[in-house]
Amino acid sequence: MSSSLTLAAESTAQRPRRLLLALGGALIVATYLFLVIVQPAEIAGGMGSTASLVSLFGFLGGGALLVGGILPMLTTSSLVVMPLGIALNIAIGQIAGSLGMQIYLDAIGTVLVAVLAGPAAGAATGAISNAIWGLFNPFALPFAAGAALIGLLAGLAARYGAFRRVYLAPVAGVIVGAIGGLVAAPVAVFMFGAAGTFGTNAIIAAFRSMGDKLLVAATKQGLLSDSLDKIVVFVLVALIVYALPQRAVRQFPFARTYRVLGTRTGTPTRAAVQPAGK
Amino acid sequence: MITLDSETFAYDDGVPLLAGLALTVRPGEYVVIAGASGSGKTTLARLLAGMTGADAGSVFRGSIALDGETIRFTGTPTDPRIDPAAWSSRVAYVAQGAWGQLSMMSATVGEEIAFGPSNRGVPPERLRRLVAEVAAALKLTPLLDRDPRRLSGGQLQRTIIAAAVVQRPRILVLDEPFQGLDDDAVQDVAAALEALRRDGTAVVVCEPMLPLSAPSGARVVALADGRPVFDGALDEGLRAGLRRYGIGAAGDPPRVDPGIAADRDRRSPVPGPAHEPHREPAREPDREFDPPLVILRDVTFRYPAAGEPRPQTGLTGVNLSVSAGEIVAVRGPNGSGKSTLLQHLDGLYRADSGSVTVGGILIRRQPTGALATTVGYLFQDTDQQLFERTVLREVSYGPLATGSRRADGARRAAEALDRVGLGALQNAHPYELSFVQRRLVALASLMATGPVVWALDEPTAGLDEPTRSMLATLLTRHAAGGGAVVLATHDAAFADAVAHRSIWLEDGRIRGTSTAS
Amino acid sequence: MPRRRIYNPLTELLAAVLLVVLVLVVNRWEFSLAVLVFGVLPAVLLSGRARQIGLAIVLVAGPLLLSSLLLHGLFFPEGSTVLVDLGIARVTAEGLTFAAGMGLRMTVFTGVLLTAAMTMDIPELLATMTHRGWNRKLVFIVGSAVGLLPHVALRAQQVTRAQQARGLVVGRAPLSRFRALVAVTTPLVIGLLVDASERNSMLEARGFSSPGARTSYLPDTDTPHQRRARRAMVAVVGVFSAAWLVIAAVA
Repeated sequence: MSSSLTLAAESTAQRPRRLLLALGGALIVATYLFLVIVQPAEIAGGMGSTASLVSLFGFLGGGALLVGGILPMLTTSSLVVMPLGIALNIAIGQIAGSLGMQIYLDAIGTVLVAVLAGPAAGAATGAISNAIWGLFNPFALPFAAGAALIGLLAGLAARYGAFRRVYLAPVAGVIVGAIGGLVAAPVAVFMFGAAGTFGTNAIIAAFRSMGDKLLVAATKQGLLSDSLDKIVVFVLVALIVYALPQRAVRQFPFARTYRVLGTRTGTPTRAAVQPAGK
Repeated sequence: MITLDSETFAYDDGVPLLAGLALTVRPGEYVVIAGASGSGKTTLARLLAGMTGADAGSVFRGSIALDGETIRFTGTPTDPRIDPAAWSSRVAYVAQGAWGQLSMMSATVGEEIAFGPSNRGVPPERLRRLVAEVAAALKLTPLLDRDPRRLSGGQLQRTIIAAAVVQRPRILVLDEPFQGLDDDAVQDVAAALEALRRDGTAVVVCEPMLPLSAPSGARVVALADGRPVFDGALDEGLRAGLRRYGIGAAGDPPRVDPGIAADRDRRSPVPGPAHEPHREPAREPDREFDPPLVILRDVTFRYPAAGEPRPQTGLTGVNLSVSAGEIVAVRGPNGSGKSTLLQHLDGLYRADSGSVTVGGILIRRQPTGALATTVGYLFQDTDQQLFERTVLREVSYGPLATGSRRADGARRAAEALDRVGLGALQNAHPYELSFVQRRLVALASLMATGPVVWALDEPTAGLDEPTRSMLATLLTRHAAGGGAVVLATHDAAFADAVAHRSIWLEDGRIRGTSTAS
Repeated sequence: MPRRRIYNPLTELLAAVLLVVLVLVVNRWEFSLAVLVFGVLPAVLLSGRARQIGLAIVLVAGPLLLSSLLLHGLFFPEGSTVLVDLGIARVTAEGLTFAAGMGLRMTVFTGVLLTAAMTMDIPELLATMTHRGWNRKLVFIVGSAVGLLPHVALRAQQVTRAQQARGLVVGRAPLSRFRALVAVTTPLVIGLLVDASERNSMLEARGFSSPGARTSYLPDTDTPHQRRARRAMVAVVGVFSAAWLVIAAVA
């Protein structure tokens, strides 16, 4: 039936701009390899003008290309949760940062969006989130590509069932966190000399006192902190999404199609005996 | 003109609603869709708005005819899909709850109203003219440069209505637009709706109760359990005995279970603050109330200047004493400090000077959470606390957090749920309940922790008649059992029927006290 | 809010970003200091909100500087000029130099970007992006996220109060803190998601998926002049950076 009030029978979802995605991804990988392989000499002492420029442009530009590639494929239902994810990232991240905690908690929104709306929306949330936060806290800016990676990986983890069981979430968190930490370390080193909160710097200091180079110490710290951080974040997000009403989850095509939360319903009998808040 | 012909509608839970309902709304009509919680009002409103919920797993069979064009639905995946943008330019919809309807990207009311047309690429000059016209009609012109996130309830509601009608639809559907507004704001919103109706726009309003006054010629469609039970003029509706369907009229006193509160039935009109300006808080009414459970002595409180979104009234020299067995209503206009006063009772706010004693405990520096066993607080916005995935777990949170053993907590939660009539919904998800039921879950959470003092902020807002009467009974029983209740409310009929005493606040000061009976 | 601004936010933002790039390219403490003294300082003083911006810069950069000083000042194994030996920690001249250089760089970044951000008129920026035909989805995500931020913070505060009223007491143990975090974030997220689902229908109804360009209710404060200036700035900084880096590499 054709009518001015109804939509055409099939509206094809817009496809992503593959070229931009490929370029962005390649740029980020190339930047990382450049920093880790080509520049080890500079880590010793100098502040590294080339290295910091490359990390700024490579990671930020790569993130921007990714976002540009992802935008056309975002549905309205993904679009409305992304600002929410960004606001959560910044609000909670700012609190955790000001408390000087060893973990960041600045990816809760990214992981939440990734679980509900998929890896693409997650990646875009991570990247834009750090770009906006970067205006108020410049230290977040160069981590945009790392944040996009977290969103992407969290979405993929959700797609392959990491959020169907509560005990799988921390496992996925460790892996995603380790990769994220690995990627974030050179940025932190080349841009800011690995400055962070007192908590993270104490860990770096411990490795430095054992004679590690700054990049090595920061990488080890990144592996530690990020893994721990992502365990907490993934478990937290898992608990939040389990508490969501079915109807709220079902409005997301991604979560519906890939049965991200499995066959979870109210699980009434278990619920009655479990303590609250656990 | 729109005609909805519903054979049946079912959400994903499969329970059929709106079976055999036919409704036609003509140009310029004012239709009130009244029904208790769960009667299918919102479903009906959303169907009129073209939201058949097919993408969320709902099944609708029937047809909707809009201006001579009929769209049929058979409840199958091949059903036509309504184009929301095209539909909304003829039928605008204002859902419940304001925040979800702001784009959140507009810094001014003007931009928010312009959001729709600017999405459609309307050129800037025409955009500004459209906004100016609709703002003038809804008396929003002075607010055009204000931040929509910092408006009062009535102003916000009018802004959202303006944003919905800027495309000049012929029909406007609103789901409980007056919920949580005080009398002045209700009048403003009603006046805005009238202004639209003068231009020939039909207005459909969902309400939990019959309004006492509505524009002349208003028509009522009453729903009960998803079925239409009445369709006719409002004054007929008020006389049609719709109470048996749980549909009361706004302003009626609640029905308190007679066995409990026989002595509270006769009520003389309560004088307002102008008639009886006591300087001192009322003396303890008589010997039947003692010992005092709540004592506020000369409490003064100022909000910190920065940080709050709106400058709020503090409290100045407030004295109040509430005895065991007593129900006290705190009344006064919006922003007079009612919620602020209430939040002093459980330590959410701490007095700058003066003292607050509750249940014999002087509130000093102890954490708010430690007072939860003594004072239970019902927030105006229930949805800020529900976080568990079943109703039972939700209600058990309080007892468990305050040290009850697990089995004990579950038992107390189940008891509390039975008392508010939600015993059958223990395993439901709190957010899949209706507004009224969520409110009851919050009340049950409070009751399960077993505090002796109840502090309730606007407990009757948005309730239907049966729930309002049940609430009255619960409060009366709690007081009769030696507890104390302090409630902030706009609901005069409720306060007059239930409270022993009303105190009137104005600008953070007690302006007067009126004692019932 | 008193504010003194001359240029379109997009121009100012671009200028700030290019300044950061220049600081990285030149990579000399003298240049960083010059930017700080002759660029950031006057901008902050003339902004009309000097106190807030100054405070924000101190709050953001201060802890980082301090922790960076402790980290590199005390633990810099590559350093050879030992000033004080504290056993496991050694204060070295190289470490202090590194910390000072990095610290200066961080202060400049913070100063430049925070001043730009805190004097920026976000609605005007969004309007400019719309007038220049930026992707409407991107403009929505950015605008809505910035608009939601204070709302989320306020709501988190209200949820915390509501949970405290029900008996939530946040202890010091990690598990207790984590439980508190769950008790606060869950209703926060659910509430925001419920709003978002309503906003989803609202966006569809308001024609957000319409094809073509969006228009803006706010006037276009951008000028062809500024557009040309922006392109010129990018070109100049680009050429300068390339030249500088090549010369540095050759030398």
